[in-house]
Amino acid sequence: MGDELGRWAEPGLLVLASLADGDKHGYAITTDVADHVGVRLGPGTLYAALGRLEAQGLIEGLPAEGRRRPYRLTPAGAAELSAQSSRMQHLATLSLHRLGTVPA
Amino acid sequence: MTGDPRVVRLLLACYPSGWRRRYGPEYGQLLCDLRVQRHPLLILDSLHGALRAQLAPGGLQMSARSPMTTAVWAVGLFTVAGIAFQKLSEDLTGAGGSTADALRAWLVAAAAVSMLALLVATAPTGVALLRGRDRRAWGYVAVPVVGAAAWFGVVRALRAVGQPGGVHSGANLAVVAVVVLAGVGVVAATAWAASAVLRRVPAEQPARLRPVALVVLAVGMGATAVLALAWGLSVRAGDPGVVSGDQGLVATPFVPSWVATVVLLAAAAALAAVAGRRQIGLAH
Repeated sequence: MGDELGRWAEPGLLVLASLADGDKHGYAITTDVADHVGVRLGPGTLYAALGRLEAQGLIEGLPAEGRRRPYRLTPAGAAELSAQSSRMQHLATLSLHRLGTVPA
Repeated sequence: MTGDPRVVRLLLACYPSGWRRRYGPEYGQLLCDLRVQRHPLLILDSLHGALRAQLAPGGLQMSARSPMTTAVWAVGLFTVAGIAFQKLSEDLTGAGGSTADALRAWLVAAAAVSMLALLVATAPTGVALLRGRDRRAWGYVAVPVVGAAAWFGVVRALRAVGQPGGVHSGANLAVVAVVVLAGVGVVAATAWAASAVLRRVPAEQPARLRPVALVVLAVGMGATAVLALAWGLSVRAGDPGVVSGDQGLVATPFVPSWVATVVLLAAAAALAAVAGRRQIGLAH
């Protein structure tokens, strides 16, 4: 799970990040990710990620609102997002330091 | 709903039925919200997602088809292709020299291994059926017997009508079409009946039996397709006149019949590989 989510712009990680500030349905997730990350998740990619994350217990589907079903981050999903974000932050800091972009 | 309902329905139909039951309404709404009919890349993304859902080993619960059902339909397709190969090759013995004859013999052996693997994979269900675990399932066993009898009846009736004329005459082609369609119908009915028996008869399955058997099935079918390809090349090299003549099915050119047969065999092998992959996923 960790390796899969560790890849840059992995759809599952983008979905977890999108759900971190509240429940969202599919269309809201795609617009949120496009607005804040600049990545446009296609419908097939998004639902493949939602299915995987749901099966892993990292998100859960809420009761449908009409034909739209919101999804929520589970505690396990929040922990996974936190772990991956810390790892990426460490990698970013290390890279910028070695490139001399930021002082040690 | 703001999307084109026909496009949305078509894209939804590409997903497995179980997946549609779980995600269908919300996914359809997303496709509408995205106005997917105006964005070819989103259509491609949806088709890619559907393909992954169809092939995913973990997506077994999302599919109405069990691995054995897929395997049985692969064998049905393989049977049709095998009969086509037999008809194609029976008049060409010796045409490609000893190499072609040896390839044909190896092809028959690979096909036999595949059928043996299917027998092994279905053996526990057969034993359970013989032990009377589900007496009603015997009705399905009658399907291939009745189907074969009906097919022979069709052939005899057509023979009774008399010689329809030249090999390329419309009447003869119509007769051939009826015989072929009836045969394909019997194979399809048999595959349906076998799938039903495998689905409903409870049987104890040794853990590794089906995964190993389905892998052997797929490998054997793949080898058959490759050998059929090599056999055709060998025939062409041994007797170039065959390629330009009318040695194909129903006295048509050889190459289209040969290519179609190889493609059918390869499609059956691919279907068997999907079944094997799903069965391995289930075992894990």
